[in-house]
Amino acid sequence: MSPQYKPKVTLFYCINSIDKETLKLIHAKVSVELTTVEMACSSMTKDVYLLRAFESGADKVVVVACPETQCRYVQGSIRARKRVEYVKKILNEIGLDCGRLSMLNATARDKETVVKFFEDIGNYKLLKN
Amino acid sequence: MSQSISKLHQILSTGEFAVTSECGPPRGANKNVILKKAELLKGKVHAVNVTDNQTAIVRMSSISACIHLLNTGLEPVMQMVVRDRNRIALQSDILGAYSHGIRNILCLSGDHQTFGSQPDALNVFDIDSMNLIRTVKDMRDEGKDMSGFALDDPPRMFIGAAANPFADPFDYRVIRLGKKINAGADFIQTQCIYNIDRFKAWMHMAQEEGLTEKVYILGGVTPLKSAAMAKYMKNKVAGMDVPDALIQRMSSVPKEKASEEGINICIETIQQLREIKGVHGVHIMAIEWEEKVAEIVRGAGLIK
Amino acid sequence: MIVGEQKPIPEIMKTIEPYKKLLILGCGTCVKTCFAGGEDEVATLASALRLACKQQDKEIQIQEVTVERQCENEFIKEAANAVKENEAVLSLACGAGVQAIVRLFPKSPVLPGINTTFIGIQESHGVFIEECQGCGNCGLATFGGICPVTRCSKKLLNGPCGGSKDGKCEVSKDIDCAWQLIIDRLKTLGQLDNLKKYIPPKNWRTSISGGPRKLIREDHII
Repeated sequence: MSPQYKPKVTLFYCINSIDKETLKLIHAKVSVELTTVEMACSSMTKDVYLLRAFESGADKVVVVACPETQCRYVQGSIRARKRVEYVKKILNEIGLDCGRLSMLNATARDKETVVKFFEDIGNYKLLKN
Repeated sequence: MSQSISKLHQILSTGEFAVTSECGPPRGANKNVILKKAELLKGKVHAVNVTDNQTAIVRMSSISACIHLLNTGLEPVMQMVVRDRNRIALQSDILGAYSHGIRNILCLSGDHQTFGSQPDALNVFDIDSMNLIRTVKDMRDEGKDMSGFALDDPPRMFIGAAANPFADPFDYRVIRLGKKINAGADFIQTQCIYNIDRFKAWMHMAQEEGLTEKVYILGGVTPLKSAAMAKYMKNKVAGMDVPDALIQRMSSVPKEKASEEGINICIETIQQLREIKGVHGVHIMAIEWEEKVAEIVRGAGLIK
Repeated sequence: MIVGEQKPIPEIMKTIEPYKKLLILGCGTCVKTCFAGGEDEVATLASALRLACKQQDKEIQIQEVTVERQCENEFIKEAANAVKENEAVLSLACGAGVQAIVRLFPKSPVLPGINTTFIGIQESHGVFIEECQGCGNCGLATFGGICPVTRCSKKLLNGPCGGSKDGKCEVSKDIDCAWQLIIDRLKTLGQLDNLKKYIPPKNWRTSISGGPRKLIREDHII
């Protein structure tokens, strides 16, 4: 893989944890090929969507949800975490590195944290290959 | 039952304080293990229980170990659990056991197989221990098997059952005892007694129900070898009640004196049991410690 | 409902090994309710299997169909074309559903994708508990509505055994002692006398012990 290779990342995010501005920052600062899926709440995360993202060629799938105590719909972030854990189990079973799926809890104010998270993903991928 | 069915029956019916002990068959076909244990127990006790694959671990069958004991002159109490055999096999084995001279039976449910060395096994539990008691009684008193078939030379067994005064729900324990007596139990051997107060409370309830007049009750005792064993019994063994004071007492003596202290506690318990009205004997379960039975029996002044 | 649990993917991968065109057939009744074999689980499993095959450089085409009830012929027929178009069927129905497909399509290999575990209920969201063994001779009236055949580890009808402690079974602290529940309930109902009754040996002929069972309703046979 060439050093210029940009990892393909699919981002599922709750609109309360990543706003337009954060998204713009990610696009501007991070060197990944990003596909985004906007959700009204992270509870909409479903096993099959995460798997299909991998099927479509994603190197990495990320779910960004609000902190568990701050979900607007109370249990959404918990549900998202449970789904992510379940899909990680499936990835293990089928011999895919479960580290390719990760989750981050953030609010729209945590722009730097989110951007940093994506920068790390970019680096991680390059180092790994 | 005008005539005594077994030696144990005779002892109990004459009002003598009965002493029974236990012999666990070997995990192998070595009959010398039984003979050795028999040697240790001979003349020290009135009868010896032979366990039936206890804790769901495969051992020599209870029936055959009973026969080995009989050959040494000891009287066995054949334990029979309903975990591994259906009603056909149970009845058939009762007939066989009787034909060999086995005269006492203790009817039990049996430890669940998940505790044993082969937890993948299918359990049977076709009938429960209550049904088994009734079956043995019907064989003896009606001369019939469970199908109602009149048996040629029906087995006449002295029927025992277990009672655990320490299990929950406490209030129900005496009702269950009554049920076992009604089903046909002639004698009862209890779970190991460490909490004598709770045992007394149970006996009191049994007495109020008039049950102690209908059945011979043998209090169970197990000498503790160490403080660790006391803790293990308290925390890990189902249906066991070991008071903290007893654990403290075991811990308070130096390690090398612990087993001696365990024997002392056991002897004291037996002496206390003898004072309780309705207790007709003691069942000493010295698990893989049969050599201590003689010492306990002597210490408690039981059999000269 | 019939409760089931999806088999581990490596086990499924082994059974589907010979086939390149596979139908995953879900069932929209019991196994859907217990998250084992409904439409969602079919989709997830299909995706996971495609990924797994890709990992192993194995070619596969997976079709996904879920019928309302896989144990009834009228519903199964809806999947007839899909069954015929594929080399094998991976059924996510209970054992009855799997065998209903087998009966209807004698030439198609039908593979089980779930382990059928028991007849039970959802005690709380995501927690399923066994309630009935289908013994064919219901005695719930005697036991305050709590089944000792199913819920007592030793199937005791004259229980509880000496292993009941603090309301739990000796087998595991995660198992309620059925007899404690029965006693509590009979107390509430004022039927404690039931406990004194001797319950005779159970007739197991109506259970699986009597051999495979069959029920005939003359009034529905034309």
